[in-house]
Amino acid sequence: MATYKIQIDNEVRDATPAEVAQIEARQAEAEARAEAAEARAVARQAVLDRLGLTEQEAQLLLGS
Amino acid sequence: MGIPSGYTSAQVVQAVPTGINSALVLISSTTIGNAVSSVTVSNAFSSTYDAYQIIVSGGVASTDAGLTMHFGSTTTGYYFFQNYSFYNSSTLTIDNRNNQSNFIAAAATAGGLHGNIFVNSPNLAKPTRFDLVRAHPLTTSLGGIVLGFENSNTQHTAFTLTTTTGTVTGGTIRVYGYANS
Repeated sequence: MATYKIQIDNEVRDATPAEVAQIEARQAEAEARAEAAEARAVARQAVLDRLGLTEQEAQLLLGS
Repeated sequence: MGIPSGYTSAQVVQAVPTGINSALVLISSTTIGNAVSSVTVSNAFSSTYDAYQIIVSGGVASTDAGLTMHFGSTTTGYYFFQNYSFYNSSTLTIDNRNNQSNFIAAAATAGGLHGNIFVNSPNLAKPTRFDLVRAHPLTTSLGGIVLGFENSNTQHTAFTLTTTTGTVTGGTIRVYGYANS
């Protein structure tokens, strides 16, 4: 099992197994968000490529 | 007018002098330890203030990452909108998230930590609202904003920042309260 240090106010200590699980769950959720956003960006670029539009042209048409 | 004895600046003071009706008040300053994955600041929020500003600065991260935030022990019900763009790209990414266990709150890079987080009503029996900007101090990284709320009436007193990956060392987490009157 991975080890983590956590800090509560001014105290730094090793995380307990339960705290390790909580940290890893939070990090996994953040990673899933980043991956989903990246996947959407890739899909958006694929559509733009099919349409033959640059990102700037898409922003002019769609606003973002 | 000079800075009164015991105060750190003319605008941001450690206590509100008599006759001053509006001020940002420094509640706590926490120095981040060595190679930690999360930092909890207890007793950050109270009934004294309705709104807070949290500033994360200095320090260093082991890798380009973010810091997520959650309030107290509440790890569900975070709803937010975020957008961001990499400095070297014209693509603006828009992301809406419902019922998350946390939200992205600050940047953590080898160039330093950066957080500027406004929190409204964390200690009131109302949903806690947050809005923030994040700007990763790396030419290859990103800047963006996050707007959202935690959907419960829990009265929070603490918050926790957790790295999205890696660890952070050094730097300071300062919590300021907006004087209510």
